[in-house]
Amino acid sequence: MSIVTSRRFWLVVAAIVIGLLPAIFTDSYWRTNLIVCAINVLLAIGLDFVLGYAGQLNLGQSAFYGIGAYASTLLITQVGVPFWVAFVAGVLLAGVAGVFLSVFAVRLRGHYLAIASLGFAVITYQVLLNWISLTQGPLGIYGIAPPPPFAIPGLPPIEFSNLASLFYLTAGFAFLVYLLLDQLVRSPVGETLTAIREDEVSAASLGVNGQKWKVFAFAVSSAVAGAGGCFYASFVGTLVPDAFFITESFSILAMVIVGGMGTLIGPVLGAILLTVLPELLRGIGDLRLIVYGVSVTLVVLFMPGGLVQAARLVAARVRRPAKVGRDP
Amino acid sequence: MLTVVLQQGINGIVVGSLYVLVALGLTLIYGVLVQINFAHADIVTVGAFVAYFVTHWLSGNYFAGIAAALAVGAVFGWLMNAAIFAPLRDRGNELLPLIATIGVSIMLQNAMLVLLGPIPYAFNTPYSNEVIRLGGTFLTVQNALIIIVSTITIVLLYAFMKFTFLGKALRAVSQDRETAGLMGINPNYVIMLTFVIASALAGMGGAMLGPVLVLTPFAGTSVIVKAFAIVIIGGFGNVEGTIIAGLIVGLIESYTTQFLDPGWIDIVVFALLLLTLAVRPTGLVAERREENV
Amino acid sequence: MTKWLYCALLMVASIFGAPAVSTTSAFAADKTIKIGALFPISGPGSYFGTQDKQGVELALEQLNKAGVNGYKFEVKYEDSACSPLPATQATKRLIEQFKPDVAIGEECSDATLAIMPIMARAKIPLLNAGSSSIKITEPGNPWTFRIMPNEVMQGIDIANNAYKRLNARTAVILHENTNAGIGNAKVFADTFTKDGGKILADIGFGRDVNDFTSIATRVAGLGQIDVIPTYTLEGQGLKITQALAQAGVVKGGGGHAIQLGTIWLPFGFEQKAGKAALGYIRIVQFDPTDQREVVRKFVDAFKAKYNQSPTHLNAHAYDQIMLIADVVKRGGKDAQSIRDGLAATKNFVGVTGSVEFDKHNQNVKMDTVHYMETKPDLSWTALKWN
Repeated sequence: MSIVTSRRFWLVVAAIVIGLLPAIFTDSYWRTNLIVCAINVLLAIGLDFVLGYAGQLNLGQSAFYGIGAYASTLLITQVGVPFWVAFVAGVLLAGVAGVFLSVFAVRLRGHYLAIASLGFAVITYQVLLNWISLTQGPLGIYGIAPPPPFAIPGLPPIEFSNLASLFYLTAGFAFLVYLLLDQLVRSPVGETLTAIREDEVSAASLGVNGQKWKVFAFAVSSAVAGAGGCFYASFVGTLVPDAFFITESFSILAMVIVGGMGTLIGPVLGAILLTVLPELLRGIGDLRLIVYGVSVTLVVLFMPGGLVQAARLVAARVRRPAKVGRDP
Repeated sequence: MLTVVLQQGINGIVVGSLYVLVALGLTLIYGVLVQINFAHADIVTVGAFVAYFVTHWLSGNYFAGIAAALAVGAVFGWLMNAAIFAPLRDRGNELLPLIATIGVSIMLQNAMLVLLGPIPYAFNTPYSNEVIRLGGTFLTVQNALIIIVSTITIVLLYAFMKFTFLGKALRAVSQDRETAGLMGINPNYVIMLTFVIASALAGMGGAMLGPVLVLTPFAGTSVIVKAFAIVIIGGFGNVEGTIIAGLIVGLIESYTTQFLDPGWIDIVVFALLLLTLAVRPTGLVAERREENV
Repeated sequence: MTKWLYCALLMVASIFGAPAVSTTSAFAADKTIKIGALFPISGPGSYFGTQDKQGVELALEQLNKAGVNGYKFEVKYEDSACSPLPATQATKRLIEQFKPDVAIGEECSDATLAIMPIMARAKIPLLNAGSSSIKITEPGNPWTFRIMPNEVMQGIDIANNAYKRLNARTAVILHENTNAGIGNAKVFADTFTKDGGKILADIGFGRDVNDFTSIATRVAGLGQIDVIPTYTLEGQGLKITQALAQAGVVKGGGGHAIQLGTIWLPFGFEQKAGKAALGYIRIVQFDPTDQREVVRKFVDAFKAKYNQSPTHLNAHAYDQIMLIADVVKRGGKDAQSIRDGLAATKNFVGVTGSVEFDKHNQNVKMDTVHYMETKPDLSWTALKWN
């Protein structure tokens, strides 16, 4: 295996890129977009774990995102819990909600599960909206503080009101989650999940407890989305239920599909592309979302394997020039 | 109190009939193709606007508006199938068409926004403000029309499915595409036909909804999530189930408004959905598998 | 193979083609006051954005003919989408790339509240006209100004008038489940109850509710209702008014109740709603039949430019730009001096009324509140309650 194709090499490159990004993008607008990218990467790889690897069509990601955001914020503002304790609690609570939804996943398949999870997302949104005494509903929660400064002895404390540090925090966390999921899908756990995705019955005949692993996949996926929610709240500083409407689930799903489902790097690329694209398109004003919609459709029509497939095709061409007329 | 309960029953049936028109198309497509068309909502919106403009150009001929919406819906259905579903059919990934139609939906909504603007259109048909009053209850002629047109449509659709060769072919393909193909039915043709019928229904549903809902380029989206719920509660691909579930959701909506609060509507509907899925995943109405044609 | 290449090319082209279309700067050589406009331009909130834009464009056209104190005005629009995160992104982009001297917007209170701290940190004044939440000016911040009466000012006034002038004793409140809807409903309920009135029901609904017949049926079953304060936008407002008339609740449907509204509904609502709107009493912030010269000129110019009558949203946007021009006339030339100039505003006369800010930068002038009653021919009568 040459050094260019080794995973470790690319992980190091990724870490360096993350480190350099705030230095390249110095204005607060692009640093803001970087943080949004990092949060969306978290949401997308979380969804891909349950969707691409375990094969569970989950449209409830917006709910776990919202649960993480609201749970952590309310613990901080109402109970006075420190940020990182609230963060862990938010992540856990989102994970527990995921376990609840997986009860349906154990019984249902395909589109039934899709709509069940969509129903779960609708109910969560409506509860956030209508339980005004707890969540403030549409009145919103404002002035949510960024994560507290992080003090390393001997160095000046790291302030997360600074966008570059906040980016390092969110992107660093997303990177860690990526490493963790990467290890998971390469371990026997990943093989088990893939076996369930491909054929649950034969997996069971090999002694795999499909139900247990489905629950596990849901728990991991929704906990990751919950973490995204915690970062969202402390970053935007404002919480309203509309940020977690079901359309958010579809946006995350689009990131996974456009990037390439069933790979971990695909959703990362998809999340970045679909976050940056509408920003780049701001210049064309009214036509912005039309072009965005057309782009998503075209990607699906002509690159069904997503960006990852496109990259592989390009790589294959570079290595071995293709014969003329091999077009599909 | 009794009149109120009765009145809310009428209100629920009106809204339910509208939902049925939208949900039937989704069910048909799912039944034949096992696919979800997210842009169905926007075909509803297109239908509503077509009906609005035709009705206004023909100085109040609402029925011409309905017919035009039906035709334009059919054309959109054909286009959706040709451009999105046919090319993706054999890719083997059920998610691809779903995402592609989300893209189409975003595009259609924003194209309509650029063309038509965001300010709500006041779609008053000659029947919108005519009120029939009977023993304390009331019903606008428009709403009566909604019930009548929905009923006729459902009956026609039923007859088509039951008694015509194409209808039987459609059911055959929805039960077993390969066997149907072996028996000389061209599944591609049947699938195309399904899209045309489903989208024509959506266009017509839009024409009926236009005068009722807040007519903006986002009108259809407010209905589609409930339409999904109806399709599931009724049992995916089950036409009778969809009709019953549509009426149930309409009634839930009016009675929740009366006895709880409008904010609870979605919670009650989707709780019923989750309950249905937990207890009877095949839908409230038992699926009757008929012998292959 | 060529297909996806073609598709990628298309996307790249659309990205790089974009900046060419968007350049708006026309006065690079002149002294310019740069105004950033944060409006919802996409999604359902674009209801506000498109109308705001019309008012802004008219004001610019008039001001830039001669300029003010040697300054011309340049506006850059960003789509803040009526929602906190997109509003944050749009604001940062505006600050970084356009570097405005002053900004106007948003319409939705959630988005405005998310924008405020960013503008304050950048030390750029934000002039708001459309968000009614009290939190915007209580406690507020030194950089945010609001020319519209807030939910408390409007709510107390209309509740007192309902009790004292209309002798209303019972009310049913209908409101959309949004920041503004809930806020307005609460102020009305508190004031009306304190006066001695009774709230029979307080019914909130989402912006996705379509059929209001069920709500009208429920209202009809609540017994004798004197007033129905309604807080929704035009689209749902039309449906509610028609449904209440069909259910025989309001005067327009032969009933007893009077619907009350605040400044959410545009001019022309009555014509769209038809005879169901008969007897509707509402606050308007802009009265196109107003005979003041400033209003006549605005209405004529607007009709000449757009071939339609201006709404309150057009008028608000126009006033925002005109107020900024007034500040520039008084010596404003950069963010700090425009902020100070805004704070020192006394008796600015706009088409929606006059402006003078209190120490929280809330406009205190109540002449922005006009009460109108809908007559049988669907025209307005000014009630002269203020």
